[in-house]
Amino acid sequence: MTGDRATAEPLHRGSTSASDRSVDRRQFLEAAGFTLSLTALTACTRQPVQYALPLGVMPDSFAPGKLVNYAATCNGCPAGCGLLVGVRDGRPLKMEGMPEHPLSQGGLCAVGQALPIALYDRHRLEGPLYRGRPAEPDEVDAVVREKLQKIRESGGAVRLLTGTRTSPTLSAMIENFLGQFADGRHVVVDVPSSWAIRQAHQETHGHALLPRYFFDRAQVIVSFGADFLGNWISPVEYTAAWRKNRIPTADRPEMSYHAHFEPQLTVTGSKADRRYRVTPSDYAVILAHLARELGAMALPDGTPPLDTASGMSPSDLRSLAKKLQAAHGASLVVCDSQDVFTQQLVNAINEHLGSYGKTLDVTRPSRQRLGDDAALAKLLEELAEGQVAALFVADIDLLHDLPEASRLRTALKQVDLVVSFADHLNATAKVADVVFPESHLLESWNDFQPVADLVSISQPTIRPLGKTRTLLASLAKWSGQTGDDRTLIRRHWEKYIRPTAKEPGSSFTEFWDKAVQLGFVERKVTPIPATYKAPAALTWDRKAVPEGYTVVLYTKVGMPGSRHAHNPWLQELPDPVTKVSWGNYVCMGPKTAEELGVAEGDVVELTVDGEKLELPAYVLAGQHDRVLGVALGYGCPGTERFANVGPQWLEARPTTPPGEPVGRNAAPLLNWQRNTLRCVRHGVSVRKAGRHRALAVTQLYHSLKLPESIAAYGAPDRSAVVQATTLEAFRKDPEAGKPEVHVDENLDLWPPDHPKEGHAWGLLVDLNACTGCSACVIACQSENNIPVVGWDEVRRNREMYWMRVDRYVQGDDDDLDVRVQPMMCQHCDHAPCETVCPVLATVHSEEGLNQQAYNRCVGTRYCANNCPFKVRRFNWFNYRHDDDRENLALNPDVVVRSRGVMEKCSMCIQRIEAARVEAKKEGRDIEDGDIQVACQQSCPAQAIVFGDLNDPKSRIVQLAKDSRQYRVLEEYGFRTNVGYRRIVRHREGGETGGGHHHG
Amino acid sequence: MSEVDQELRPPLVLGDKSLADITDDIAAPMVATPSRLWWFGFGLSSAALVLGVAAVSYQIAVGIGTWGLNRTVGWAFDITNFVFWVGIGHAGTLISAVLFLFRQKWRTAVNRSAEAMTLFAVMCAGIFPLIHMGRPWLFFWTLPYPNYRGPLWVNFKSPLLWDVFAISTYLLISAVFWYVGLIPDLATMRDRSRPGWRRSIFSFLSLGWNGSARTWHHYETVYMLLAGLATPLVFSVHTIVSMDFATAVIPGWHTTIFPPYFVAGAIFSGLAMVLTLMLIARKTMHLEDYITLSHVERMCKLMLAMGCIVGLAYCTEFFIAAYSGNAYEQFLFRNRAFGPFSWAFFTMFTCNVIIPHVLWFRAVRRNLLAVFVVAIVVNIGMWFERFVIIVTSLHRDFLPSSWSYYIPTSIEVATLIGSFGLFFTCFLLFCRVAPAIAIAEVKGVANVKKAPVEETPEAKEAVA
Repeated sequence: MTGDRATAEPLHRGSTSASDRSVDRRQFLEAAGFTLSLTALTACTRQPVQYALPLGVMPDSFAPGKLVNYAATCNGCPAGCGLLVGVRDGRPLKMEGMPEHPLSQGGLCAVGQALPIALYDRHRLEGPLYRGRPAEPDEVDAVVREKLQKIRESGGAVRLLTGTRTSPTLSAMIENFLGQFADGRHVVVDVPSSWAIRQAHQETHGHALLPRYFFDRAQVIVSFGADFLGNWISPVEYTAAWRKNRIPTADRPEMSYHAHFEPQLTVTGSKADRRYRVTPSDYAVILAHLARELGAMALPDGTPPLDTASGMSPSDLRSLAKKLQAAHGASLVVCDSQDVFTQQLVNAINEHLGSYGKTLDVTRPSRQRLGDDAALAKLLEELAEGQVAALFVADIDLLHDLPEASRLRTALKQVDLVVSFADHLNATAKVADVVFPESHLLESWNDFQPVADLVSISQPTIRPLGKTRTLLASLAKWSGQTGDDRTLIRRHWEKYIRPTAKEPGSSFTEFWDKAVQLGFVERKVTPIPATYKAPAALTWDRKAVPEGYTVVLYTKVGMPGSRHAHNPWLQELPDPVTKVSWGNYVCMGPKTAEELGVAEGDVVELTVDGEKLELPAYVLAGQHDRVLGVALGYGCPGTERFANVGPQWLEARPTTPPGEPVGRNAAPLLNWQRNTLRCVRHGVSVRKAGRHRALAVTQLYHSLKLPESIAAYGAPDRSAVVQATTLEAFRKDPEAGKPEVHVDENLDLWPPDHPKEGHAWGLLVDLNACTGCSACVIACQSENNIPVVGWDEVRRNREMYWMRVDRYVQGDDDDLDVRVQPMMCQHCDHAPCETVCPVLATVHSEEGLNQQAYNRCVGTRYCANNCPFKVRRFNWFNYRHDDDRENLALNPDVVVRSRGVMEKCSMCIQRIEAARVEAKKEGRDIEDGDIQVACQQSCPAQAIVFGDLNDPKSRIVQLAKDSRQYRVLEEYGFRTNVGYRRIVRHREGGETGGGHHHG
Repeated sequence: MSEVDQELRPPLVLGDKSLADITDDIAAPMVATPSRLWWFGFGLSSAALVLGVAAVSYQIAVGIGTWGLNRTVGWAFDITNFVFWVGIGHAGTLISAVLFLFRQKWRTAVNRSAEAMTLFAVMCAGIFPLIHMGRPWLFFWTLPYPNYRGPLWVNFKSPLLWDVFAISTYLLISAVFWYVGLIPDLATMRDRSRPGWRRSIFSFLSLGWNGSARTWHHYETVYMLLAGLATPLVFSVHTIVSMDFATAVIPGWHTTIFPPYFVAGAIFSGLAMVLTLMLIARKTMHLEDYITLSHVERMCKLMLAMGCIVGLAYCTEFFIAAYSGNAYEQFLFRNRAFGPFSWAFFTMFTCNVIIPHVLWFRAVRRNLLAVFVVAIVVNIGMWFERFVIIVTSLHRDFLPSSWSYYIPTSIEVATLIGSFGLFFTCFLLFCRVAPAIAIAEVKGVANVKKAPVEETPEAKEAVA
């Protein structure tokens, strides 16, 4: 892959073999012409032009219309996953995972996939604002410098507030910048933060650090609320690692054991072998008892007894302890609690289990969440007291993402200089004196250091669309340094990174070129000498949980924070757990809903300490009865823009009510406790507001179990659709979980009507690996130009996704059986859609694909009706493509469909054809691995495999021999070309969860 | 009609009509100034038609999204209306062709309007497959003809294509049959009208009819042949329509019982519609002597028989689902009856299976108001039957993840109203421009007054 990758470096493109090429007349003229024009150009300009120069000489790998991948690093969140930016004709189009990246290992989450649509967002600020009015960068720079000079002289306090930024160059720059002031401090904030983990390690290890977790080395994983497969710290990295021990085969029927404790169903909870429904305050109780059971420590004085109210019985606890003990050195306990005491218990257990140095590393810690709540608390105090002279805010929206916004707003008025780096006019930017919007990741040079021993670099793939620049460049400018971001990063890398690199290369140029091309560099670092010191005996000082409901504020997998609020793809992405798109809601358990007399969509009012929040309710199975969940990152100013994102017609309803943003801001419910900004709020009262706001849900029925009153005799469920078994059963019989249906492959009335002699494309999805994270959904949307249709259309069940992730929840709330299943066109060889189309608009290809000819389609929808999988999508309207900047994100290889035609998964036919062309050019046949379909490429769990079913050596054929392989509705004889691999739960007996038999 | 017959069977035409009376009576609505009632009906139905035209124009301009369909339910009002209207048409063909072949003389009072009804119903039906397309302007792609696109042909495996053939054949045959049957009456009208444009039109349309024995002979032969041609259509058209569903894989659609079930249902609904129209026409156009209580009663008996077949079909479906052992099928039928659309199912079941049984009672059959109500109820029930088959089968099929619901939009409701508008507008116009009862045929079955009458050519012909 490295060889295919290009670099945006202007100087060293395709220079490797230039010397041994003889020069003919044409080339001479080209070169002469280039030289002449370059001379002319350089003569006209004062500064050397560094990028966006028309290509005088085409580099080897560059051809019009051809997709070229550039290495980059995702900044969707601080996890720092490796990114391949697919650029065509100068347009970054498709984000893919970087297979060689040591952390993400080829995966990329939905947020990373959605970067391009944010790049081409017309509502992004195009340049600096001074007092709310557009201004020239020079003008703004002069103002800021002048003010800073005054502050420098007066010795005022300068504060820089950012989210976690792992960039080594930026860190150095911030130090330099703030060093110029008598009182300069950098405050890092994450909502939610992992500060408690760092603080607990301060107590137990003497260093405030975030360990690096190695889920691949863990045989027993116990998670307390940490949604590590969904959105906890570095989900893609963790998913890739977790997956390694989750693929049992007939030869090696082994897999890790994963127990999960949480109040509200998450992606990770859905995948756990055993999920316990507990409140966040139960974590400490269970952990304390677990620590005692393991012998890690005595029960802290005053620990309440482990009663059944905490969702876990003593016998369950003993068996869990036994499992952990048995896997000494290969077990891992993680917890997302923001309570230092709780995290100390976790550390004690991990230490006792010999996990440090094995499944989690504190010597080369992670830097993916550096938020420091105490520092933030201090800053807010200073602001309130009017002690801050200048405040610089990046990443977070101070007046939106934090509680007590009105007090903060008043406090900000006392600050001489408020500078925002927001790329949209958010609440803080609206009151800031200066807004200098940051460039998009794809427009700028960036570097990252997500973990101690890995630094990565991210090159621009397009010139900034507006007058924006990076935070690094702005700070450099204001601290009087010369050079743009590239120069600064280069300088830093030459000085600090290369000397510590594992492979420094023979010269810096070589090192730099390789780093830019590959995207990351591994570093040698001196391990931090952090060892466990048992803290002084812990005493139980928890206060009793007050009356009322507990509200857990969480971030959605597809919406990590208000920073992404302007991303229509992420706004519309159905949440992997609830399947709700557009907006947030109050999650509550079925019992709670019944108690409150609330049904889905009924607006409820949450009240706590004078804070009120009104949101529609969503009833979610497996939710703790006393816990409500509300997503953060909604209600962002400016998202009113999405009101008319969908088709406009007589009965259309706007995506957001007139003048209102998407969702409601739940940040006012965040609260400060012991210097931590807690996402858990106790003592909340709930009442029905008496209104209704329908939720846009893509899946209306959530269970494989049929409604009892109408279920078929003897077939109360459809578990054969998403088959599952237990490890114990699987060990006895590798085909365990196979339903008893008669399938005769050879039974056919007619000779095969589609003999596949060449290639026969197929997909195989491992349901045991799939977490349902929905990265594939956005990958498919980006690759195949799938329109955003808005709340009203989703509500009418007219979402356009070619690929969806079905999610079925059954069983009782205390032991859920959750199954997820990516569902796309199954490319049946006996396709029900093909026979019914009157005009032959959908036909079978010679390579086994079910193809849709948009041109020919007259739109009878008969095919969609007859599709047993309901994967066909009809263009009900002409969807909006009137924003010519947003249209730049469209993939030119895929047709934009007009209204009245049917569409569906094409198995990325454009990628198949591109690979065919490449293979043909090289005079060979397509080889296994040449083609990666969009959903497969970025799957963090590598759950999807594409390949040639006619090639006995291909990976898909090898995998399909596996005993877990099955096809959906196999007994109907559709002969699908998409296979699935059965779920195996690490459980005893034949029960996959929920206390009733399946399969 | 033999003397014996006349004595044994109740007369088909009441009121001691002479042949001239018959002609006068039937032709009266065509020459008289339209009554207020007619104007009222015409105003109402043309308003409905205008509403429908507006709705359809809007839908074609904006997209199918203006309907309440979704990713799971791809057909609802559109195909329901289509099947409903095709079904309505069937009774017309049955009455005019099948009953003609069986020499059921009572049919003469109703066959003309029934045929007209068929024609208009098929017109209404034909609109829906057109407008239900995402890109209706490309409808001609469903026709097999040599073209420059490859040539690209149609998919002969697709039941939708069979529909195209079935419906177009049906429309053609129905129109021809209706027109041929009209010729003698058009000639009557020609002879009755004063010279002028009216007469020219009638004389053009009556194709030079001269009432000779030879003309009659040809006419009878052609009519017989056309009746023979149209008869299989009664069965084939709805069989093919049913195959839209029967050949699909969706539980609730994939059923071999569908062809006979659909044909019976079609005739059932058609009879109900004929009765509805007849009862209105009888009252408003004063045709009580021609459309007699005995006609109504016979129609009721036929409707009752069809209703029983339909009821049997419903029950058979449930039985087979239970008997088949197919879990998807079993679920579908339980869901149909007790799922979210149970209200539609029970509307259908009550209207089609339970209520028609009141027709076992002679008193009810002879109570015009009761019959009218039953006919309306059956019309509603039969519309719901198609809705139930289409929507309840689609909304919850194989994968529970895709289950959905369906709520029609105002555009769909307006389109349905519009189709009724079209139907009644056409029918009311028809009553004004052509004899609503086949004059010549009625004369053939009339118990003509013995008293000497002024011999008119028509009367002579009629007797002959």
